[in-house]
Amino acid sequence: MRNRQERMDLLKSLCLAFGPTGCEEEVAELILKEIYPTAHRITKDRLGNLIAEMHFGDAIEGRTRMMISAHMDEVGMMVRSVRDDGTLLFGTVGGIDPSVLPGRFVTVKGKDGMHNAVIASKAIHHKEKEEREKAVAIKKMCIDPGTGSKEASEELFAIGDFATFDSEFFFFGKDNSTMKGKALDDRCGCAIMIEVMEALAENPPAEALDLYFCFTVREEIGLSGAVSVAERIRPQVALVLESTAVGDVADVEESGRVARLGKGGVISLMDRSTIYDRDLCRFALRVAEENGVAAQIKKYVSGGNDAGHIHKSGVGVKTLALSLPTRYLHSAACVASVADYDAMRGHTEALVRNINRFGGRS
Amino acid sequence: MSFYTELKALCAIPSVSGREAAVRAAIEKKIAPLTDEVYTDSMGNLIAKKKGVGGGKSVMLCAHMDEIGFLVTVIEDNGMLRIAPVGGIHFGASAFSVLVSENGVPGVLVPESRTKAADYTGDKFYIDIGAKTKKEAERLVSIGDFFVAEPSLRRLCGSRVAGRPLDDRVGCAIMLSLAEQMAGKALGGDVYYVFSVQEEVGCRGSKPAAFGLAPDYALCFDVTGTGDTPGALPMACSVGGGAAIKIKDASVICHEEVVNLLLSLAKEHKIAHQREILLYGGTDASSMQVTGAGSRVGGLSIPTRYIHSGVEMCDLKDAEACVALTARFLEAING
Repeated sequence: MRNRQERMDLLKSLCLAFGPTGCEEEVAELILKEIYPTAHRITKDRLGNLIAEMHFGDAIEGRTRMMISAHMDEVGMMVRSVRDDGTLLFGTVGGIDPSVLPGRFVTVKGKDGMHNAVIASKAIHHKEKEEREKAVAIKKMCIDPGTGSKEASEELFAIGDFATFDSEFFFFGKDNSTMKGKALDDRCGCAIMIEVMEALAENPPAEALDLYFCFTVREEIGLSGAVSVAERIRPQVALVLESTAVGDVADVEESGRVARLGKGGVISLMDRSTIYDRDLCRFALRVAEENGVAAQIKKYVSGGNDAGHIHKSGVGVKTLALSLPTRYLHSAACVASVADYDAMRGHTEALVRNINRFGGRS
Repeated sequence: MSFYTELKALCAIPSVSGREAAVRAAIEKKIAPLTDEVYTDSMGNLIAKKKGVGGGKSVMLCAHMDEIGFLVTVIEDNGMLRIAPVGGIHFGASAFSVLVSENGVPGVLVPESRTKAADYTGDKFYIDIGAKTKKEAERLVSIGDFFVAEPSLRRLCGSRVAGRPLDDRVGCAIMLSLAEQMAGKALGGDVYYVFSVQEEVGCRGSKPAAFGLAPDYALCFDVTGTGDTPGALPMACSVGGGAAIKIKDASVICHEEVVNLLLSLAKEHKIAHQREILLYGGTDASSMQVTGAGSRVGGLSIPTRYIHSGVEMCDLKDAEACVALTARFLEAING
């Protein structure tokens, strides 16, 4: 089993990997190396989804076919034209608030590799008074790779190149109990799946289980690679591991506070894409209690994730979403609690090991 | 039981999207003796199968069991409940109305004081169940509980009725009445009576139901808007004008063969009918059309005024016309 340092190194390496939506190969490569020793069978489908199977128990009757999924992609940017001064105009891939962009370091994946750059907008000195008070529109920002000319930039970059935040991953706060990095959404889910697969390999369950750990593509733009996976494996039950924006900061009023840091993984009852199976939500809360792991209920109806497509796939799938409460989601500095990550990891393992007790599967 | 009594009984049971169990149980009891096999799929759709004698086309008939409502998201210190809408809630129509929770707890839906009607959004509303404190509220209600506007149905002039939720218990009542009529008849193909879930949040339930059944034809029974009230958008569809044969809504263009067959059957058998082109709103017809390898879809709609309010209004004669026309349709494609 991994020691604490090794566990956190796994999460860190996943968060640092380059993987905006549509460009998930580097993340997939990294995950493939990690799951190679534990998976019983690995498939990569046409879209780039990675499906790792683990099968336990000999019983023919009473097996549960369960899909556990997390998406590999993160929000990012795409180059849309090269300007005469060598700077790159870009669009966002996935939902990014324009105000979190200017002044950030980014990594652009050019023709022959990775390049450092910054996101630029007009400096305060050049702004009119009223301009200073408004957020800059994304179409007025550019990525400056420091090349100085169109010719030099065109040697390195082409329209359609992907970019993402270049952001350190570190621990901070009291006892280093808090972590910061880009792409915690949803590399935390990927890391938890890798850890749970290792735990199952080390201590195989006696239960009759057919488990499909699915590392999916294209969640952030709503296209959901996960739906193709669900149609392929036709699970009875699905667990979607995600991260959720919490809104537990000072300027959000009480009724808008979705969840809190430090209270465990977040169980959604409903969001914009899914009304979650109530029996499965209750089962998840009971499993958390029995296993002494923290869990909380999402107190707001917002957002959406792969569950929206998964639960309607095939003849329907009983679906649950468990999310890491995260502050400043979709920015270069997502902030989450290590204790929540641990709770969610423990909860996921307990859910998988106990899923045969869930009576609602059919 | 008369159509009205049946409809009133169905309207009386709250059934917000995702929490349709009580209505499902009531419908299952009624339809089980009229069909050969009844089951509930993993999303909660109720599927009743009337076996054909062989050699015919299979048909899926579909009406949704769910209705719009509210989900409790936060219980505040003063005992007030903050909510999120489930489905297309029109807060202007819902303000200051009586609600009831899935556990039978009554409450009233009100906007924050001094909120102008133009600013009505879900964030401005709360449910007041009369609790004095958070603790008292928590004894009756939990986060995640669903509320619906209080059900009601009454007769108006002639054969018209008003109340809620006609959308879409009237469709469910039509299917039950049809199942009764068809119970003793032998058709070539299988007929599936599907009472779907989660239509109001985006036609979610009928998709996996249709995927599993893969029917040759599918008909949807749902309410549609009308152009017959003061200030209404122009629409050649009116309450009392007969069964509305769906040509198009915002989610679907119905299959040409199905539309033409329904129109010619209605004419031949002198069944009151009109053509429906709904410019907004979608129905389960859309998801049945595009799931799996697809099916030939049509819709028979019940013209309804004031949809998604507490005073939805329709004419029972239109509903009866839908039943009669569907019976002819089933015979025509399976005769």
